[in-house]
Amino acid sequence: MRLASTEVATRTTRDHRTRYPAGRLGRGLLAAALALPLMLGAAACGKDGGTTTDPNAPVELSFFWWGGEARAKLTEDALALYTKKHPNVTFKKTWQANQGYFDKLATLTAGGAAPDIFQIDDNFLTEYAARNVTLDLKPYQDKGKLDLSKFPPSLAQYGVVDGKLAGVAFGENTQGLVYNKTLLQKHSLPDPTTGMSWADFISWAENVSKTTKVPGTMDPSADYKAFWLWLRQQGKDLYKGNQLGFTEQDVTAWFDLWKGARARGATPTPDVIHEGNATDISKQLVVTGKAATSWVWANQMPELKKSTKDELGVIAYPGDPTAQWARASMYFSVFRNSPHKDVAVDVVNFLANDLEAGKVLGTERGLPSNLDIRRTVADSVTDTSMKLSIQIETELGTKFGPSPQVPLKGHSKVRSELIKAAEEVQFGRQTPAASAAAFFAACKAAIGT
Amino acid sequence: MALRTEPAPARSSEPVNRTPAAKRGSGRRHDRDEVAGYVFLSPWLLGLMGVTAIPMLLSLYLSFTNYDVLSPLSEVEFVGWANYRRMFTSDPSYLHSVRVTLSFALIAVPLKLATALGVALLLNRAFRGVGVFRGLFYLPSLLGGSVALAIVWVNVFNREGAFNSLLAVFGIEGAPWVNDPRFALETLMVLAIWQFGAPMVIFLAGLKQVPLELYEAASVDGAGAWRKFFHVTLPMLSPVIFFNLVLETINGFQGFTSAFVLSNGTGGPVDATLMYTLNLYLTGFTELEMGYASAMAWVFLVAIALITTLLFATGRFWVHYSDAEDR
Repeated sequence: MRLASTEVATRTTRDHRTRYPAGRLGRGLLAAALALPLMLGAAACGKDGGTTTDPNAPVELSFFWWGGEARAKLTEDALALYTKKHPNVTFKKTWQANQGYFDKLATLTAGGAAPDIFQIDDNFLTEYAARNVTLDLKPYQDKGKLDLSKFPPSLAQYGVVDGKLAGVAFGENTQGLVYNKTLLQKHSLPDPTTGMSWADFISWAENVSKTTKVPGTMDPSADYKAFWLWLRQQGKDLYKGNQLGFTEQDVTAWFDLWKGARARGATPTPDVIHEGNATDISKQLVVTGKAATSWVWANQMPELKKSTKDELGVIAYPGDPTAQWARASMYFSVFRNSPHKDVAVDVVNFLANDLEAGKVLGTERGLPSNLDIRRTVADSVTDTSMKLSIQIETELGTKFGPSPQVPLKGHSKVRSELIKAAEEVQFGRQTPAASAAAFFAACKAAIGT
Repeated sequence: MALRTEPAPARSSEPVNRTPAAKRGSGRRHDRDEVAGYVFLSPWLLGLMGVTAIPMLLSLYLSFTNYDVLSPLSEVEFVGWANYRRMFTSDPSYLHSVRVTLSFALIAVPLKLATALGVALLLNRAFRGVGVFRGLFYLPSLLGGSVALAIVWVNVFNREGAFNSLLAVFGIEGAPWVNDPRFALETLMVLAIWQFGAPMVIFLAGLKQVPLELYEAASVDGAGAWRKFFHVTLPMLSPVIFFNLVLETINGFQGFTSAFVLSNGTGGPVDATLMYTLNLYLTGFTELEMGYASAMAWVFLVAIALITTLLFATGRFWVHYSDAEDR
């Protein structure tokens, strides 16, 4: 755009009077760019998903997920297995980083061109299910075309929104505190342990900072999953019914906890914390070497391991580990207007229940939902980081408390507001109490209470 | 672009039609020319309608609804002026994004134009290799809108970046510029100013059009370099300055890419780089409040139109169009 205007202008400067009104028109039209997909969407919504009668007719399914390269490789291999069994079914595979994934999925959906099968997590499952984007899989389950009988009941139940089965849980995970083992060994420091109190953990981190000159831990005050877990240990929750499950004072206490840790040198400087607040796994401070521990989901171990040469260890978050829960790390959903719904459901069923596919996928998305497959994978897995995450998750599995409810609509806003509020405190621009008040008000607005 | 897509047959048939038309008298000929004109315009007109005008009208409609991207358009609810009221009464981050955008445009645009004019004046002399220098100074603008450049910027201006290494040579300890809410927006401004190539090229073209005899006459009258600059160059250049000012102001208000990349798509740290367009994007696509985002887009359109009108109004007082140019 800039080049074009230059070209016009250099040709002659005398006729610029007539040029810029056009420029004004042409430029202010951001709205237009936003609205175009909607138009096309309106047109495309007309077609409805019919079912193919000929079982051998060629079918191409679009398949969309977020993740890193490790996940891409495994997913492609698993889908190839399906094509091997059903040569008429091929896949149009698209994947990208988590950053921007949901923007793209929303745009595709608005255009009526959502992928036939897409990966989704509980931050958005409610949003998509409530608006009928996802196909209700319950009838398929009733007809035996989708088998969730080998799933732990809680995990199968996780995909149910308003009585409809909106997604099939693909992997179970839980919070994992990942630490740099190599660094600790080099300085003969003790590993952190599951069940440490928050105070002990912060002291441990302070000690690591002093000895190694690498901050002992990432500051998780902007991290909703750490905040959530901590709330549960205080007998609270992120959501209760359609309300917030915590008070402003809880938020203040949480910010104060980490303000104290910062003052003791247990955590990095605010700008480094800001880097660590990015969702990309490759930017987590434990792998960029800017902190000794990072707060992640346990299933992210293999992807983290790809970004560092150091040996990594994983434990539960501090405090009482019974506050942790078995979370559906993500789901696969089928687009309601997919032209090949039946095949798409069959593919999801295959990925969830086929032993070979399960072995290929391993624990990259979390522990396999199908318990039979989970046992086989646990016995046969060779990848050390996968092995480690299985170990920690099975160990914690015995202590898990009850799962919280699936997050409310507006959850993604709550997450981004927490980052903003926590960073206000980290950069010293707000007191914990003031920032907590702002956060609390923003949360109430976000979930509409 | 519209001309290029014009189908060839229409063009080749024209001379055939013209001959009988000419015989029939000038009035009809005029009509036919008009028709032909619209035929030639049609690809562009279709584009304008399909890609711009109709979606714009749709977004105007959506701005009065609670459209949320995922629901079908047939299910949206009309909410009246609620979206517009919310912007100015109960959305602190909206007002914050307005402040960020205003300070960005008010600081970065004048500095960018001043830099562009200064460099253009330097490069307007004849010396060996001037072409190479012009090319080099233009280069950053070629890369301007690119994501890659913004990524480079992040790496130059973070704590371990090249800029801080440079400062360290002089014993100065730098800040984590891009990751510090105090400096993140300023870092974006520097990036914008650095890309002064486009206005610079326009200034150069303008400078070349100033008649040399004016300078000669001024010299004869005893004017020094400064006088010549203020009394010959600037007035003669004022239409070009005006042009650049309008374009760059609009550009400045619409800054998106660099803010998006620099902040990892969040407008952070702590909303320091939450430009208007970025806030709009996040509202529409991440928070799925497309109706509200559409309302923001319309307020933005009106605001930019107002600012441009204001510039035009002031332009009457300082922009000089010489007769020599109005051939």
